Amino acid sequence: MSTITEKTFTKLSDYEWEIPKDFRSDMRVPVRVFASQALLQDALKDNSIEQAVNASTLPGLVEAVMVMPDMHQGYGFPIGGVAATDLETGVISPGGIGYDINCGVRLLSSRITLEEATPFLSDLATVVDQLCPSGVGVGGRKKLSNAEMVEVCLRGANWAKDDVYTAAEDLRRTEDQGCLPGADPGKVSSRAMERGKNQLGTLGSGNHFIEVDLVTEVFDEVAAGAMGLYRGELAVQIHTGSRGFGHQICTDYVRRLQSAVTKYGIKLPDKQLVCAPITSDEGQDYLAAMRCAANYAFLNRQILTNNVRQAFETVLAGKVDRWQLRQVYDIAHNIGKFERHQVNGDQKMVCVHRKGATRAFGPGTEGLPTEYQEIGQPVLVPGSMGTGSWVLTGTETSMLRCFGSCCQGGGRVLSRSQAKRSIWDETLLQQLEQDGIDVRAGSLPGLAEEAPQAYKDVNQVVESVVGAGIAKKVALIKPLIVIKG
Amino acid sequence: MALNGYKEVEHTADIALQVWARDFPSLLKQAAEGLYALMDAVLETAQSKTHQNFTIPHGNHETVVVDFLTELLFFVEEKGLALSDFSFENGQNEISVQSTGRRILTWERDIKAVTFHDLNLERTATGFSITITFDV
Repeated sequence: MSTITEKTFTKLSDYEWEIPKDFRSDMRVPVRVFASQALLQDALKDNSIEQAVNASTLPGLVEAVMVMPDMHQGYGFPIGGVAATDLETGVISPGGIGYDINCGVRLLSSRITLEEATPFLSDLATVVDQLCPSGVGVGGRKKLSNAEMVEVCLRGANWAKDDVYTAAEDLRRTEDQGCLPGADPGKVSSRAMERGKNQLGTLGSGNHFIEVDLVTEVFDEVAAGAMGLYRGELAVQIHTGSRGFGHQICTDYVRRLQSAVTKYGIKLPDKQLVCAPITSDEGQDYLAAMRCAANYAFLNRQILTNNVRQAFETVLAGKVDRWQLRQVYDIAHNIGKFERHQVNGDQKMVCVHRKGATRAFGPGTEGLPTEYQEIGQPVLVPGSMGTGSWVLTGTETSMLRCFGSCCQGGGRVLSRSQAKRSIWDETLLQQLEQDGIDVRAGSLPGLAEEAPQAYKDVNQVVESVVGAGIAKKVALIKPLIVIKG
Repeated sequence: MALNGYKEVEHTADIALQVWARDFPSLLKQAAEGLYALMDAVLETAQSKTHQNFTIPHGNHETVVVDFLTELLFFVEEKGLALSDFSFENGQNEISVQSTGRRILTWERDIKAVTFHDLNLERTATGFSITITFDV
């Protein structure tokens, strides 16, 4: 097998690199990496680029496999990978979407100033923590019935439409209005349904979090104004996904598709890349089940949003003039969707796999809310818990170069065990407190795994996507409160 | 090196476990122990033991490893149990597994799934070896 080095790449620009498809005989399309030279060199330290080359062997790929600058080694696909397949000749790959289907981020804005909020931040942290179940093995407030699970699969975030804390604009400002069409609960195993019943409205553990942030810098006042983000005011981020429901659906279909690969004569360099033709029964069944998990995740973030709003009301109502939280946007970063893109000069529907990458539609793209038509879709890029997170917008270039996609975050550099070995929990907690961050964590070792040192510098990642022209800077936000499972 | 054992292997985003044993049933037992060690599971006292039986479909060795560990994850999440003292019986269409369940008091790390990533059972001079990547 050929070794991948920096010399393997053709430099297309300072932030765009390509491995031609003749690099390895089984590649069907090139691999295109969006990164600065420094981040590209970093990426060569693990197997992420090789995984992208492996992904480029899938049948029916369109244009190239794209890799974002926060790439890191996953299983099958690299994390930070984007691949589009032809709807007639292409495949759908559960490994190209991941186990945590529709893991994503939601951003809420407020008109609460830091000065107003400061006396209440500790109480706010306590009540958000109390109202938003988090941590390993922690279930939701209510166990759903079978009929309710079916409704959740079909309606997504709409299921919480009548909740007193749901605002009408929440759904409008969610990718696909919080509900993917084509979900079929009949394609979901009873085991997945069982796992989903008890976990709705829970954050989970690992890298999932809720943050209360402060808008510290605004780079584009028009775009930030459209999103309701103003310097010196509070915002909230919620990062979670489809929990055990999505994990089980992915597990079931990765297992089932092992035999589909043989049936359809597909040769793969890694079993985790299993796939099936989109037009096949197996492919259609996975799509229908995957959409159920995506809808569950949209609703999960909606319920947590409502719980956070309840916490803000409990702590701040009567003390702060405007305590309400408005949704900026909700994006998915582990998903497969049918989207219309320009391919070889023609508009064409393709199946875009995004694994650890977000959608980043440019201005004027169909499906964006009216208020974002001129500025482009908000792109939410969380950093690690001690650093800032970025709010960006998608561009015309992202539509043309990478199927309207962008990075999802910082990307890991240290393995979890390396992080645990090298970072002392108490020291980390103390450091975060010194930086003015109130951390509520269910597990101290879990906290060390997610320490800032374990991640790439999110600012470098953002400089790369901005340099490549696939996103524009809008605002930088920094954490005041971090809730982790 | 002992004939049976496991150790964590570095993986940037997730967690991997190398497992080795003199025969395949022992490999499954070691993989189970390794899984609970990765989770940092604290178990209740021996008095709380219960019998737990389940089946997994026949398949190649790698698929059996994934199915077996996936079943153990389900027992953790849905029943709060860690299983041990395994015995395996080959049936016509499936493998029957008898085991002892002990209640898990706490665990530090959620493991979402068992992946097929680079999963290859190797025959070694002393038995079998496999590296399993888990999604966390």
